[in-house]
Amino acid sequence: MEEKVFEIINYIRKNKGLNLLQEIKPSDNLRDVIEFTSFDLAELTVRIEDEFDIDIFEDGLVSTIGEIFEKLS
Amino acid sequence: MKSFLKDKSNNYTYDTLLENINNANSYYQTYKTDVLYDFFLNFIISLLSEKPIVLIDFDINENEINEFEIFGLNISYNVTLKKYNDFNEIINDILKSKSEVTIFTSGTTGQPKKVTHTIQSLSRAVRISEKHKENIWGFAYNPTHMAGIQVFLQSFLNMNLIVNLFGSNRNDVYSAINEFNITHISATPTFYRLLLPFEKVFSSLQRITFGGEKSDNKLYESIIRIFPNAKINNIYASTEAGTLFSTQGEYFKIHNDIVDKIKIIDDELLIHYSLLGHSDSLKITDEYYNTGDLIEWVNLEEKTFKFKSRKNELINVGGYKINPIEVENYILEIEGIVQAMVYGKSNSVLGNILCADVKLIENCLLTENEIRSQLISKIQDFKVPRRIKFVDSFSLTRTGKIKRL
Repeated sequence: MEEKVFEIINYIRKNKGLNLLQEIKPSDNLRDVIEFTSFDLAELTVRIEDEFDIDIFEDGLVSTIGEIFEKLS
Repeated sequence: MKSFLKDKSNNYTYDTLLENINNANSYYQTYKTDVLYDFFLNFIISLLSEKPIVLIDFDINENEINEFEIFGLNISYNVTLKKYNDFNEIINDILKSKSEVTIFTSGTTGQPKKVTHTIQSLSRAVRISEKHKENIWGFAYNPTHMAGIQVFLQSFLNMNLIVNLFGSNRNDVYSAINEFNITHISATPTFYRLLLPFEKVFSSLQRITFGGEKSDNKLYESIIRIFPNAKINNIYASTEAGTLFSTQGEYFKIHNDIVDKIKIIDDELLIHYSLLGHSDSLKITDEYYNTGDLIEWVNLEEKTFKFKSRKNELINVGGYKINPIEVENYILEIEGIVQAMVYGKSNSVLGNILCADVKLIENCLLTENEIRSQLISKIQDFKVPRRIKFVDSFSLTRTGKIKRL
């Protein structure tokens, strides 16, 4: 699951023209470290929902990679 | 020294603004800038010199400039202004200004619409009084769009401090609220959604206004928890007409001053042309403009109502209205694509997210990334579909149109 999230994040970064990340850490902030805007976060929810059938933003915002892992586990 | 604008680490005072206005000898009719202070200053100078101004986004690209028929980008024109002693004189002159202000919106036919307003129609909903003098505004809208202009006029004409929050992340929004004791914010539900989840109470907020897209009760409840001292209301404003309605309690109300200029036919909201800006692309039938917004009466006598949905197919993505046909036309220009359908998919961050299904010619190896990068060079980022699926066929409606989800 963590590997898939990592893949999705890099996929979105690649589409934005950002370099690919070598790793992600649970403490990484989606906005500051991963550099996602609200449009990127929306894309992230759709792609995660496609994969895991879970809307990670349904109950409000998740701010870090670790919070995504929690929602999916 | 009273502050006019805080934008990141920059602080601009009303004294500086007065000095810049008094030293101005030119302005841009069409100005592309990402510096908010420069944008506001140029706007004020155009109003004071009674010159026309065309407001465009700073991220608009070459292609759209041609399409929107925008001329004279960043070319300056000479102006002669009188010398102002204070802002009372400036505000009086702005309210009387004969400037024409032109803004853009997505059209329903695929062509963008250009609408020209007077400052009188733009300031229709602005309230100037002693009571408003100490307000501190969080500026959370795009300044070139109708809602941004409304917030700018409301705050500037009361000489309030404006704190730029547009595009800021959650932490920066909260630290700005804390640092400057922001009292008023008007923003899209998407902006407020990004402030969740609740962590602590911010007590300086007196008024929270929602606009731009439909929002839900769950979001209201969370926002009330964060800002317990704020009164919450909703506002209906459009590029064509400016601000028309706001909510009293849960529902919108048609006020007496415009009640004879509003009609509801087949649930659709119609607006008398006298409330609209000028545009060649607005279709007026028997003096009324069909908004495409469908409403439901709550109480006919009290003239209260709520919005149900839209008649046309504009997709609201985080407050930006997008015409799927316009985006489809751009997708179809890409070599290798034979058919495209653009639609909105419900999304917990933006309300809707823009998606596209495309059909490629045989043996074409075009990727999602390639399609997106070609689109980014042609249209603004918010119009680029965030998920592109490759399909072999499209489901059609009974009338033979492609079915939108």
